[in-house]
Amino acid sequence: MKKPNYWPPIIGGIILGIALFISFVVAGQGMGASGAFARATAQAVYTVNPDFAQNAYASKYLKNGNALINWTVIEALGIFIGGLLSALIAKRIKPEITKSKDFSSFKRLFFAFLGGILVAVATRLARGCTSGQALDGAAAFSVGSWIFMLAAFGAGFLVAFLFAKQWKGVE
Amino acid sequence: METILPLYTSGFLDSNTNLWLALAIGIMFGFILERAGFGTAGHIAPVFYFKNIMVAQVMVSAIVTAATLLILGISFGYIDYNNVFVPTTYLWAYLVGGLIFGIGMVMSGWCPGTSLVGIATGKIDALFFALGLFVGMFIYFDFYQYIIDFANGANLGKFTIDKALNISLQGAYLVTVAVALGLLFFMIAMHKLAKNKGEK
Repeated sequence: MKKPNYWPPIIGGIILGIALFISFVVAGQGMGASGAFARATAQAVYTVNPDFAQNAYASKYLKNGNALINWTVIEALGIFIGGLLSALIAKRIKPEITKSKDFSSFKRLFFAFLGGILVAVATRLARGCTSGQALDGAAAFSVGSWIFMLAAFGAGFLVAFLFAKQWKGVE
Repeated sequence: METILPLYTSGFLDSNTNLWLALAIGIMFGFILERAGFGTAGHIAPVFYFKNIMVAQVMVSAIVTAATLLILGISFGYIDYNNVFVPTTYLWAYLVGGLIFGIGMVMSGWCPGTSLVGIATGKIDALFFALGLFVGMFIYFDFYQYIIDFANGANLGKFTIDKALNISLQGAYLVTVAVALGLLFFMIAMHKLAKNKGEK
């Protein structure tokens, strides 16, 4: 059987845009992901330590019962399932670490972990990530979403040279 | 004409149904992201070196497509724009958040949504990124009390392009398309430059 290839970017973008629109007209909101990680973290910490319900930030997630009963959390679970379905059909599931051939796996995973910490903090400041803030907000004419997106891309371009070794030959 | 969209915020869906639909909508997003190539850091990180600008092309065309459908729905009176979620703009927090986000993204090769797809396709780096997300969230929760003023300062409300430039929503749509296409042409030009440099 022939492996289905990736969609051409413009076609993929148009389909993603239609999906965003469907989400807008059904739920009044678009794609989101970082909020799901924030809620999952809050719920996990709360389970271990119930005092966490008083936390200055996480209290807003925990005051109405389980923080995981939430549109974005369930939608994010769907993103995982949908990605899995697509990759299964395309036979693209393979345990691997994406990095330059000569770059150490340990350092690559450390950078992935550290990057995750930075991105998490950034999404709380910016009230969202590439999906919930940049994509949804920009499509709904928000000025802040463009400020966030241009700042993110700008900073990425500026510091890219620091990580060039990690990505050499990765395309 | 009575606007009936969005279905949920206009009261046509109960919250239970809306949660079930969230699962369906998420599956649709995940499938599309994987199909569009967002399931590997190998497609995301090279954007910052202008080597492979595929994901930037996807983002720009998605924004233009969604904005076009949205403005048509609003203009013909089917969609109540007031009921579409627009994030509140906190100017400095967004700017600093964006800068930190960009650094984290080129360092890791992931963002929260794509990492879900990456984990689904077996990427171990995506899993470590997600672990970092949990730790980062926890750090933010604990330090939030010290930065409350900064995080919530410069609150511009639902600051949309039409309000900022004092133009119509249709005008805001045109500005959105112009900025998106400007970004796309910039990426294409830099990509060509990077390619030429690579060949020499």
